[in-house]
Amino acid sequence: MGRQRRRVDRAAGAGSGTLPEAIAALSRALPCGPSPETFRRAKFDRPEAAPALWQLLFRVLSPVSEAGATAPPAPEAQARLVKAALRSEGYPRPALAQLPEDGSRGSRELLLALSWLLARRPLLERLLARTRVRLGDEVAVCECLGVSTGCLGTEPDPCPLQCEDLAFGRANTGLPALGLGSELHVDIRHVQWLMGKLRFQWRNLVSTQQEQCALLSKVALEDGTWGRCCCLPLPPAQPGSTLFQIHLYTWGCHSDQSLGHLSATETEVLRDPEGSQQLLQVLEQENAHLAATVEWRRRELVFWQWMVRGQSRDPAWSSALRALQETVGQELAALRWAWDQGRDPAQPHGLYRLVRSEPGAPAGRGLQAAEVIGALRSKEACLEAALRQLQGQCRRELARLMGALPGFVWISSPVR
Amino acid sequence: MLPADCSRRLVAELRGALDACAERQRQLERSLRVSRRLLRAWEPAATPAAEPTLGPEAKGEHLSPACTPSSQDLKELELLTQALEKAARVRKGISKAGGDKAPVPKSGSTVTPVTTTPSHLQAPGQADGRVSETSPPRGICQTKAPTKGHPERRLLSSEDRISWGRGARATRPGPGLRDQQTAPPAAQQAPEAFTLKEKGTLLQLPMAFRKAASQNSRLWAQISSTQTSDSADATTTAKTQFLQKMQTASGPHGPGLSAAEVEAELGRLQEACSLLRLRMEEEVAAAPVDWKQELRCLFTLEGLQALAGQCLCRLQELRAAVAEQQLGPWPVGGSRSTLSPCGAGADPARGPRLLLYSSTQELQTLVALRLQVAMLTQQIHLEKVLMAELLPLVHTQGRWGPRELSLCRAVHSLLCDAGERFPTVLQDEPTG
Repeated sequence: MGRQRRRVDRAAGAGSGTLPEAIAALSRALPCGPSPETFRRAKFDRPEAAPALWQLLFRVLSPVSEAGATAPPAPEAQARLVKAALRSEGYPRPALAQLPEDGSRGSRELLLALSWLLARRPLLERLLARTRVRLGDEVAVCECLGVSTGCLGTEPDPCPLQCEDLAFGRANTGLPALGLGSELHVDIRHVQWLMGKLRFQWRNLVSTQQEQCALLSKVALEDGTWGRCCCLPLPPAQPGSTLFQIHLYTWGCHSDQSLGHLSATETEVLRDPEGSQQLLQVLEQENAHLAATVEWRRRELVFWQWMVRGQSRDPAWSSALRALQETVGQELAALRWAWDQGRDPAQPHGLYRLVRSEPGAPAGRGLQAAEVIGALRSKEACLEAALRQLQGQCRRELARLMGALPGFVWISSPVR
Repeated sequence: MLPADCSRRLVAELRGALDACAERQRQLERSLRVSRRLLRAWEPAATPAAEPTLGPEAKGEHLSPACTPSSQDLKELELLTQALEKAARVRKGISKAGGDKAPVPKSGSTVTPVTTTPSHLQAPGQADGRVSETSPPRGICQTKAPTKGHPERRLLSSEDRISWGRGARATRPGPGLRDQQTAPPAAQQAPEAFTLKEKGTLLQLPMAFRKAASQNSRLWAQISSTQTSDSADATTTAKTQFLQKMQTASGPHGPGLSAAEVEAELGRLQEACSLLRLRMEEEVAAAPVDWKQELRCLFTLEGLQALAGQCLCRLQELRAAVAEQQLGPWPVGGSRSTLSPCGAGADPARGPRLLLYSSTQELQTLVALRLQVAMLTQQIHLEKVLMAELLPLVHTQGRWGPRELSLCRAVHSLLCDAGERFPTVLQDEPTG
């Protein structure tokens, strides 16, 4: 079994070491990872290994909030979600869907499923990134992450917000729980009112955001120069900005010289050491997982060789099918690329830590705000153009319709 | 009144948008509360550790980046500090009244964090003049001084400065305490609250924290580098082999697409579709004045038709793939963030990515633009939803009475002017 494959492929460099070590690293790197023994049992399709693997897959495939909930759903429900998620991912083996949901068997198939997920993507890294501790004042420069990271996050949050894949503003479909009976009609004026309310909320949001910026950036400037002229922030009417202030006042404090000043999160750690202890614990836990992941990366070759050896072969299909798959894959890739061309690769993505720096400082440390501003401006222009086009389309269509009516004169509103 | 299902969908959509906006507001206000609290005077009992620089190198001047010690230096300082503690203990044992200040150079400036040490040993009152300028954080250490076991160690150990897990908040020495160990608290009672503005530059994060944070960034960097190492080739080959075997074992299916990929592709096709349609409308609406323009128009339309054909083909392929693989939708309540790349940055292991700004205005502009883009994205989405729901209603109006006209005006206002302006309808009364 596994123990016989010691010292596999020393020459390969990575993947040197034993299989048990690799599996142990994997077990430590995974959130609620099962014991190495469970993995081995699963390879032999032992039934007792199944429940742990169902649980692991549920944890991996479900959102952060669910995974961290105090009361995870019943094992059957977990199993159902795992099956549905894997089907949605395109898991190729039909055997999984046929497994009983009570966890009585199927550990080998579940191990295959886990390995499949691990092989396709850098799963461990993504799992860790999902719950990564954010020590800085982070700002997302794209919309991909949705609402959760839309604002500047300054509160030390050991269980960071879930990065939902909801398109911004897309409501949940089939929402009966709004209190609307199925027969309720609304007047169009209600719709107008809701739109107006939305506009107002956005304006509110913009002004709150401006204040947050200013307060935060105060943390980051040299003492002496600014300290005297900035007064402590007052209620929202003041143009002072929180973030800016925080950055300003703690200039020079950070042990990491490339950063130079503290973030609001870090300052909060100092202000409230007790409350921030949890943050430290989470950080240390994350470090443990990270270290295990690094070790796994070094040793995983052994694991893959073990898995490949265990798969059943299907000689009748192999070569011809592989050739077919490759050709089709290439064709599809080319086609896809044709549409992807339209996307703007220059748009920066993801989360960044905000750092205040001197205006003339050499670039290369990170993304410059001016650059992002430029990209955002052009994105804004594109979106505005798109909106205008849609509105223009509506205008033309309605004008055509109304113009055809006898007995009425339709005077459209002036085009902006 | 709008029909029931239309009402339901519209209201659901708009409520969703309002909820998302409200959620942003909530998060923002939470951050704002935290920030404002940081900028106010910090409560004495819960003051920060304006962490003492360890050992004799008491930096009275604020810590400038240039003299930030490396981790190696910090370790050495820690050892040195321990040696000093021991010396102090010995000395204390020799002279009970302990009028001697610990051999800590005080550079005479406002903060010599290590003055806390001497305060432990001094006769009461001596530390006042100096300590009163230090912020109440001294208080924390002092309150811990009485604890048995390791008083001095606690005072000087940077980790314990922050009193992780100790009730440093809780105890504020009473006014009357004037003994050796609690001298500084007397000074602390002078309500010299800690403010970030005045003393922010003196802050230093606790050792434990710094260690954990630097280990954290080191490990993330390591993960990123292992992914790009040469030895990854053998691993990649093994993985590909594994995946292929998984695929072939299930029969003659094409390369597996996931539902997420299909959906993303559909999104692109939808965008392609609307772009094509818009362009076509423009061409159709334009009135060519000469044969050249007309020809150009024709060529454009033919090109658009070809592109549309391609999209249709692709759509059929996707449909076939979904049917064959029996791809289901992502389960409700699930999150694809683990498996989709832009979760927390396309390459999460690429270390802390920095966004550098140089003035408040720049930061505000950046953030305002970001919000603007988000808002426009939402607006475009809502526009499409409204178009899909309301235009058919207008088209299917039977009669044209005042109610239908006012509906039309409202629809026009919503769809064409984002609700800001209204068109005018005049009834053309035949005269006479």
